[in-house]
Amino acid sequence: MHRSLLRSPSAGLVIVLLALATILTLVAGTHVDPVSGSTVNNFLNAHTLIQMATDASTFAIMGVGATLVIISGGIDLSVGAVYALAGVVMAMVLRAIGPVGPLMTVVAGLATCLAVAFICGLANGVMVVGLRVHSFIITLGTMWILRGVAFVISHAESILVPASLTRIAKASLGLGTSLSPVPLLAMLAVTALGSIYLTRTTMGRHVFAVGGNAEASRFSGLRVNRIHRSVFLWSGLTAGVAAFIGASFYGSATSSDGTGYELYVIASAVVGGASLSGGKGSALSAMLGALLIVLIRQAIRTLHLDQNYEWIIIGTAMIFAVVLDQSSSRLLAKRLSTTP
Amino acid sequence: MHSRRWLVTISLVTIAACAKGGDKPAAPASKTFRIGMVAKSSTNPVFVSARTGAEAAAAELSKSMGIDIRIDWLTPPEEDGTVQAQRIAQAVNDGDNAILVSASDAGKVTGAINDAVDRGVPVMMFDSDAPLSKRFSFYGGDDMAMGREVMSELAAQMHGKGKVAILAGNQNAPNLQKRVEGVKEEAKKYPGITILNTFNHIETPQEAAAEVLRAQNANRDIDGWAMIGGWPLFTGALLTDLDPAKVKIVAVDALPAELPYVERGLAPVLLAQPTYLWGDVSVRTIIDHVYLKKPVPAHVDMKLVRVTKDNLGQWSRQLKAWGFTDVDPKYLALPN
Repeated sequence: MHRSLLRSPSAGLVIVLLALATILTLVAGTHVDPVSGSTVNNFLNAHTLIQMATDASTFAIMGVGATLVIISGGIDLSVGAVYALAGVVMAMVLRAIGPVGPLMTVVAGLATCLAVAFICGLANGVMVVGLRVHSFIITLGTMWILRGVAFVISHAESILVPASLTRIAKASLGLGTSLSPVPLLAMLAVTALGSIYLTRTTMGRHVFAVGGNAEASRFSGLRVNRIHRSVFLWSGLTAGVAAFIGASFYGSATSSDGTGYELYVIASAVVGGASLSGGKGSALSAMLGALLIVLIRQAIRTLHLDQNYEWIIIGTAMIFAVVLDQSSSRLLAKRLSTTP
Repeated sequence: MHSRRWLVTISLVTIAACAKGGDKPAAPASKTFRIGMVAKSSTNPVFVSARTGAEAAAAELSKSMGIDIRIDWLTPPEEDGTVQAQRIAQAVNDGDNAILVSASDAGKVTGAINDAVDRGVPVMMFDSDAPLSKRFSFYGGDDMAMGREVMSELAAQMHGKGKVAILAGNQNAPNLQKRVEGVKEEAKKYPGITILNTFNHIETPQEAAAEVLRAQNANRDIDGWAMIGGWPLFTGALLTDLDPAKVKIVAVDALPAELPYVERGLAPVLLAQPTYLWGDVSVRTIIDHVYLKKPVPAHVDMKLVRVTKDNLGQWSRQLKAWGFTDVDPKYLALPN
């Protein structure tokens, strides 16, 4: 049991996260909380940990959907634009509806985000399959189209969402002032659902099969096109969930939201061990990958390094991770080929 | 294998941690005062100038008051209201004593500012306000008035007639939207002036210059540019591609790289924001309010400085005094 846990692809990431967190706790220093007057560690405190989870939640939630696409052998560059469009449309719909009760606001907001994301994901899937063009090109195109639509319909305004929605997204759930675990809980829920889908359902297994070898899957009778369509649909839907959480939490939506998020999302999946050639990846590892990226960003802050080095450090860590992953795969293949 | 893979990542951050060992932030002494500075973009020269001003003021006040005032530069590399909100929260979590913000998107940062204030960390705004937040003060100009001034100066240069294009930067920035509104309002006063279009772009010098050239090539009849920010003038591209005899520019900002445009007459008037003072005045206001408990105004008004050939030397010397190292010596030598 213990052995299988340690051998799991996520175990290495968990060890790294814990090791980094330990180092940061030791070197972070302390400060006096201006409200309580107590001395708190600059890293190991509830506010920083919840803030990190909040920062990671957007990438992690979208990372689960992106991982499905990557496992199937494709890529989705449009998630940031879907995030922006879903958020903008939600804010506009809620503005048009006017003041309603908190429950109705949540239902209308979430339904709008999911509906927009569903349409975007479906459009991506249908075009990738129907036009037989690589998903990189299709989603690159839809990335610009969807962001353009968000820009045009919002007139580039920053549209506020109802305060009641922000209060719910920032609810402390009994944890204390300014602690908001809702994005963290949403991240855990989406990751759990993604893990169940990938490891406990036939459809999930089929995604791995298609990503591992599409032709063999086709000859085995799998409906490959349907599977390709479904992964883009899931990717769109996770972007919709992230947009709902993000716009609700930060209190507004604009057409420039989520700019560049697609790269963080793909990085989360890849750092989590997903293979861009397909057939490999996990929802849990994508979440851990997102947490690792945010933890590295936090380390830059905690160590008082110049923030301008963030991209360099994240880029370097990602290249190292992927290169070592490929080396280990080659080594494994070599060992297997020499085994009698 | 996976553990090995991650060992490298651990090593990278450990090396970084060790490298910073000597700088390890101990529990702040009672006389240490940290100000988190969250400007819009660390690649925009005007905010680099604001940082210089903030650090200079912090150094000067540290010396005169006997406290260690530090500026934590938390500005994102690119404009992003969400990242700004995250960095405001980080500053609070890390024990900063006050925060100085220029909002890329007021809607996005208002919640984070209010959370910071609720947790006992005062917030001051500069350049671009978040008026619905709990910030205690704002240092900046009236953006509508700024836009009107740009148009008024341009109309004078164009003798009240011709076609005008507006260069407007990031379409989501509320302060820029107001400036555009100001330009359009003022243009209504001049029957001979037509506003052709408003051009938005990514706020980098190259993107801005490319947008101007694209627009100018597509609309050969543009006679004047009302630039509510000076982005393209940080490149030399327009000096060679636009004819000062046919096109006039009036822009906000007058940093060293933009001064050749004044000299050549392509931009006969630049309306300089004292961007250095964004940092300088804001740090002094924060220290007055938070450390010395003095009353400060909710709005500290910022005046534009009109830069023309007549005061090019004087303005250049002012920039040099503010710490700019790239001022052309030939401008410094000018009598006026």
